[in-house]
Amino acid sequence: MKLDKLGRKNLPWVYLFILPSVVVFLTFYLLPIVTVFVTSLTRWDGYNPPTFQGFRNYSLLLSRSVFLISLRNLLWWSLIAGTLHVGFGVLVAFLFSRRPVGWKAVRTVYMIPNVISGAAWAMIYRFIFNNDFGLLNGMIRVFAPGFNVKWLFQSPYAFWAVTLTWLFYAVIITLIVHADLMSIPAELHEAAHIDGATGLQIAWRIDLPLCRFSIGTSVILSITSRIAMYEAVALTTRGGPGDDTMNIPIILVNAITDMNYGYANAAAVSMFVLGIVTLVLVNWLFRMNRRVY
Amino acid sequence: MKKCTVFILAALMLVGLMPALWATAAEEEAEGPVELVIPHYKAGQNVGGKFFLPQVERFNTMYEGEYHIVIEELPQDGYMAKMKQLAQQGQLPALIEGADNQWFEDVMIANDRVYDLGPWLNSHQEIKSVLIDDALSFNTVDGAVVSLPQAVTRPIGLFYNETMYDPGKRIGEMTFDEFADSLGRNKIAFMTSENAWTTGLFLTGLIVAEPGGAAMLRAGLEDKVYDYTGPIWLRATTRLQGFIRESGSANTLGAAYADAANAFMSKSAAVIANGPWMVNDFTPSSSDKWSGGFNGNQVRGDIYPGNSAIANVMGYRWWIPASTPEPEREAALAFLEFMMQPEELEAYMIAEGGTAPKLQVSQSFLEQQAQDRVLSDLATAVNADTTFTVAVYDAMPQSIANEEFGKLLPKLLDGSFTPAEFLEALSKKAEETRM
Repeated sequence: MKLDKLGRKNLPWVYLFILPSVVVFLTFYLLPIVTVFVTSLTRWDGYNPPTFQGFRNYSLLLSRSVFLISLRNLLWWSLIAGTLHVGFGVLVAFLFSRRPVGWKAVRTVYMIPNVISGAAWAMIYRFIFNNDFGLLNGMIRVFAPGFNVKWLFQSPYAFWAVTLTWLFYAVIITLIVHADLMSIPAELHEAAHIDGATGLQIAWRIDLPLCRFSIGTSVILSITSRIAMYEAVALTTRGGPGDDTMNIPIILVNAITDMNYGYANAAAVSMFVLGIVTLVLVNWLFRMNRRVY
Repeated sequence: MKKCTVFILAALMLVGLMPALWATAAEEEAEGPVELVIPHYKAGQNVGGKFFLPQVERFNTMYEGEYHIVIEELPQDGYMAKMKQLAQQGQLPALIEGADNQWFEDVMIANDRVYDLGPWLNSHQEIKSVLIDDALSFNTVDGAVVSLPQAVTRPIGLFYNETMYDPGKRIGEMTFDEFADSLGRNKIAFMTSENAWTTGLFLTGLIVAEPGGAAMLRAGLEDKVYDYTGPIWLRATTRLQGFIRESGSANTLGAAYADAANAFMSKSAAVIANGPWMVNDFTPSSSDKWSGGFNGNQVRGDIYPGNSAIANVMGYRWWIPASTPEPEREAALAFLEFMMQPEELEAYMIAEGGTAPKLQVSQSFLEQQAQDRVLSDLATAVNADTTFTVAVYDAMPQSIANEEFGKLLPKLLDGSFTPAEFLEALSKKAEETRM
């Protein structure tokens, strides 16, 4: 495309204003990513110079049961995140878009958990799931007095207990989808009403397809959060009991504790690759390269 | 024109920040006491903070206007990992207590990143003379003293509540079978979370009761143990599983240290394995931690059945990074000197127990120590035949001791793993730490 006179005159300014972003990207994103990729091929204790050893860290990673268990857990968590977690957030967004009585108050309450850090939530859940004085077992014991489950320390409950620490906190998803819903032209709804469509039909056949982008984006956010999920596991089960709730970030941090930075970075690369795969898959599934309107 | 204005405004904002940067630099150069910010776990609710924080305050008062130490609170089980991260970033504080031996030797000592305390000790013979010989020898690497060797040894044993449990005779004189019989329906405060500290101590006692167990652990201090499938481990772990399942307190599954201590200090458990620093929790000033009719004066101290106690003087203690600037190093050395004064060592032993074999203690110290029944119990429980041992944690690689042992224990407790399977899984994890 040929630039006109004004465009050519503005070009130095364009570059000047882009420059800080480019510098920040190169320094704080690209360089660390390249470093992670390169050092994943080395034996490195974090202090002495790394020594190249090819793909040994990757073959070790893939041969260890803890990595395979982590992948299995990630697959389950991703499925739950992409369906129940996102589904819940979308459902709440749809409810808010109908503006029922008291929706603003509910919205405020719904947002509150989002201002509490993940680490704090993990600690709160340790108390909620406590067998002796925890809220959950206390409520269950009202109906079943002999109930006795240590949620975070018994198989197979630990996996589900960790899942519950994030499952219903879908504020970001609700915000994204709600904003998308609000931008749907009112004429479409009016036309549907004139044609005799019910509220459910409008939601299913108009609103939901038109929110394809925001729902797809939410699925990407939700699954990548599961790939990088650390506090929810580290501060509750630390990957236990046994390896029941292990995930890749815990493998990464443990490797750092053992001064195996090359191995830790191989785990980091696997997270990076899984993130890219998620991005491509969700883009394809939600046809995010095609226009909505 | 607009762009020019925006650009000039942005430049002005940048220039506006400069005075702040200059101010920071100026502050660094300002006269005043040298301040040391030391991240440490002996703070807040940590039992070690009860003595350590007032000690720091005494130092600050003594050196007012010259040095000032600020303690930054860290969780205990993340302390060493944090130090490793700070070391990698070149941001280590001026004083660090303890070290993961393998990391300290392979990284810090091997790369000359530790300040040699040798010349300082030579110029402070009054300090050097009270250091335990084995500790000094262990801490001397190629002629350099890499960390301040211990002057005080504190045998780690167990505590019991005499209103709940009457052993009939000294526990150290019993076998583990006799101990199990004497317990009756009383419970032991075990842990299966964090690093399962109280459980690991009890396991140490069980291992030492096995022929060759103490020697195996001692060897593991220098060459970590990676294979736990041998008969000593198997027999000890089988007995541990029995104790946990038969005599473990109700909250054992998932219990962190606070839960175990709470079980003991609420009379839900009659016995807890722990070090003498826990006596702080038995003083009236800690009565807010008591419940269920517990009172600190009901507690007695003893060592493990089979006449063994955990006491490891061969470890790394306080050390100073070589990169520490001169003024801060002087402050750090002043603090070490302060801690090693006879009156501070005596105060430490009164507060947290232990003995200083080479220190000429005062009469008032002996009188005070005799008044503390628990410390007196511990001091008199050991005899010439007592086996002093290192803990299982000292013989395991860091991540196995701090992470995997505690993570796998729930499976041993709920029966998902047999002792053999538990040890096999632990060995597999340990082997994976070898790269």
